[in-house]
Amino acid sequence: MKVTLNTFRLIGLVAILSWAGAPASFAFAPAQDGDKDEKKKDADADAEAEEEEGPEWFAVSGGDVYTGTGSILRGATVLSKDGVITDIGYDLFVPEDAEVLDATGYRVYPGLIAISSFGLFGGSADLKNTVDPFSNNMTLALAAGITTAVNGSEVAKLKRRAIDDLVMNTSVFTSLSFAKSNPAGKRSLREKLAKAAEYLRKYRQYETDKKSDKTLKEPSKKGIDSTALAVLRHEKRPTFSANDRTDLLEIAHLAQQYGFRPIIRGCREGWTVAGELGRAGASAVITPRDRRPKDERFARDGGSSIENAAILHAAGVQVAVIPGSAGISLGGIVGRDLMHLTIEAGFAVRGGLSEEAAMQAITTVPARILGVDHRVGTLEVGKDADLIVTDGELLHYETFVQWAVVHGDLVYDKEEELYFAHIRPRPEAALAPETKLDAGETEEAPEEVEEGGDEGEGEGSDDGDDGDDGDDGDGGTEEEGSGGGDGEG
Amino acid sequence: MLTPILLSLTSLLPAQEPGLAGSAAAPVVQPGLLAIKARRVEVGNGETLEHAVILIEGDKIVTIGEDLPIERGIPVLELDDDQVVMPGLVVAYSRLGMSGSGYNDSRPYVLASAELYPANETFKEVLEAGVTTLGLYPAGNGIPGQAVAVQPHGDDAGDMILSDNVYLKAILRPSRTLKRYISDGFKKADEWLEKEKKNREKWEKDQEKAKKKKSSKSKKDDEKKDDEKEEDEKKSSSKSSSKSKKAEYEPIDPDPRAQAFLDLRDGELKALFSISNAASYLHLIDAIDDEEFAWDLRMPLTRTSNFYEVKDEIAETERRVVMEPLLTLHPNTMRQRNLPAEFARAGAKLVLVPRTDSTSSVKSWLRDTGVIIAAGLERKTAVRAMTLEAAELLGLGESHGSLEEGKVANLIILGGDPFEPATEIDAVMLGGEIVSGEVDL
Repeated sequence: MKVTLNTFRLIGLVAILSWAGAPASFAFAPAQDGDKDEKKKDADADAEAEEEEGPEWFAVSGGDVYTGTGSILRGATVLSKDGVITDIGYDLFVPEDAEVLDATGYRVYPGLIAISSFGLFGGSADLKNTVDPFSNNMTLALAAGITTAVNGSEVAKLKRRAIDDLVMNTSVFTSLSFAKSNPAGKRSLREKLAKAAEYLRKYRQYETDKKSDKTLKEPSKKGIDSTALAVLRHEKRPTFSANDRTDLLEIAHLAQQYGFRPIIRGCREGWTVAGELGRAGASAVITPRDRRPKDERFARDGGSSIENAAILHAAGVQVAVIPGSAGISLGGIVGRDLMHLTIEAGFAVRGGLSEEAAMQAITTVPARILGVDHRVGTLEVGKDADLIVTDGELLHYETFVQWAVVHGDLVYDKEEELYFAHIRPRPEAALAPETKLDAGETEEAPEEVEEGGDEGEGEGSDDGDDGDDGDDGDGGTEEEGSGGGDGEG
Repeated sequence: MLTPILLSLTSLLPAQEPGLAGSAAAPVVQPGLLAIKARRVEVGNGETLEHAVILIEGDKIVTIGEDLPIERGIPVLELDDDQVVMPGLVVAYSRLGMSGSGYNDSRPYVLASAELYPANETFKEVLEAGVTTLGLYPAGNGIPGQAVAVQPHGDDAGDMILSDNVYLKAILRPSRTLKRYISDGFKKADEWLEKEKKNREKWEKDQEKAKKKKSSKSKKDDEKKDDEKEEDEKKSSSKSSSKSKKAEYEPIDPDPRAQAFLDLRDGELKALFSISNAASYLHLIDAIDDEEFAWDLRMPLTRTSNFYEVKDEIAETERRVVMEPLLTLHPNTMRQRNLPAEFARAGAKLVLVPRTDSTSSVKSWLRDTGVIIAAGLERKTAVRAMTLEAAELLGLGESHGSLEEGKVANLIILGGDPFEPATEIDAVMLGGEIVSGEVDL
């Protein structure tokens, strides 16, 4: 697979014009109709060339596109303009000056979202002013397929080599405490919610009454907790950290009583009260590989379960997945950190969750929880062009992210980085001769080929991968093997 | 040859001399003149001269060229075949010989020149090590102030200072506060301009009012002659002194914090930003926003600097980059990188500085540079980076930094190739005078 960078150059254009205008005596001259299209494109390109800086087009062509909305478009093209997806499908018109990533035989997924992270951005809080877009951890996270992550209270994109427009949302979590270990906090929260509810009742009354009596005064906000009010007004979803069954139940009841939808981190014993959590409209951020024995003082169910994600999901709880350590840790036992977000989701599948739901647990669900689902989480027209191209199933332990694209920019290429280039190198990169195309040479022809032979080629390259595994098996299994062992233990 | 000039060799044979024309220039020893004959001269701008003659008058170089004939009577300093002459070294970014400590905020008005202590022994030591020009910056973080260019020799600060306000030093890291110092500085400048504009408008209004009053008063004496009018004005001015004193508009004093930024905008001052990594550069660009002014970059090299990430962007702007002669490692590897060479090759203007602010680093400066030349830095770029380019950074490119006609005669005489480890400095000349080492005339 080749990345052809068709940056527009005038020289290239002149060359194309003369090429297109020449009599079709070239051995590889395209078909007549192709010729016409070319001229038309040239004209378009001409028009664009006159503008100083045209839009930036980026196309990922020929891959099997897993949009995240349930559909799979085999051998399709994802086209983006200035970082926003403008089209997904077949026979797309790809502008002359588009950067084209040929993903034939690979899979295209939406970029993954880490609902919690630290150390990926090289900066502290206030990412706009502190981010280090050259940090190693950012590259490693991209290698793990993560294109969006939470850092402190900000949601930001892993935009390498750039510092503009990376923060998507700030103060994303509204943390509340409601646990039996903190009874005072529990009481205080109940009071706050009750007061806020009382205020809202008064306010509603005032709104209806003021139509008849215009002298009425707005009820006083004095003594009303603004967070509680925002929660009851559904402006914010509160986040709780809870693992214990009793706590989970009480949160579920509180949520049902006051009509808000809680986000619960941990949720280890959630599987025992999944129904209640589902009825409360809860979302859960869980670690499927979490291991903790039940409290033996009680007869009831408890402790962790590998089925947690599956049971919660079945009960209607939105499940997001995060590994045990939300950083990139290059020491100790591998497989527990953000580098293995997909592996973690894979363990949810092991526990019975559907693959689709597991994928959602690291894409759409976190996007929704973080309030950025209008921009990321799925591949849809109008959303940001944040995507990853993998050489296999997203959740498979053998799969590598080959390319990552953030906001329409190629930010990670496995072959170009130090980390994994040597493990199962892309066959094309190693064997195929340089077939760099000049501006304007990626015409209809190559796309048609992709379209016709996408499935066949896809399978073909799968076979190729299997063959390679034999050669480099050591490197692969050593790392992933320990991950597997973890789960079983 | 019309002029009565002779190779110095002929001075050994005076008998043959009188035949030539122009007995006016009789063989009298000409005061203040000195010729240096050298087998090889590094000019400083990248060129190398073979069999060169440098003619010095007073503190300036009068002529330099290859195989120039030397007029009789001029004392000649004839160097050995293996001796090399190069311009005095220029350390453009340093705190050698300075001892003060600074603050952590924005003080663009602080002048390093105020800190100078000429009696400091360090100046003597670095001069002996071949450094004839120093750019000294004020200490501190944030925006510590403005640098001064000095020669490390002189009885008082005035003697030493070559040029003040040579650049505004600013430190930039990925931090909101540091980025703010820059934008706030320009904001202050804007505020002052606004205030000034208002003040001026007010003054003009006052003037008009005064005029109207006057004109209504003087309507009766409209016929009066101009002279009388003027007299009138003088009288009235003496009466209402407060108003008429402003006949000539006086701008309000600028805020010292704003002044430096106004100077930046006017091009009277340039900035030198010290950045710590590639990310800092992006944050710097973000902080500068749309402001246009001259600035260069200081990139302190550490073991795993990643400045190469922004190499092309920086090189495109042809800015000066100030670095140490140091080989670094590509992060996470043991692969060596020669960042000074990479930047120079990409098109940035390289300025080299000693590895640390110590006399020992100054003494090993040429040798250290030799190491990165061996690792791929172009030799002529290296010479330029230690002399002319450094002088350019200090705004002294017209008068210092290279051995060219009309420039100050600051030079060093070395026992061999400047970048060979075994080479030693035989003599240092500052302003036409040998200030260190011994030479036989």
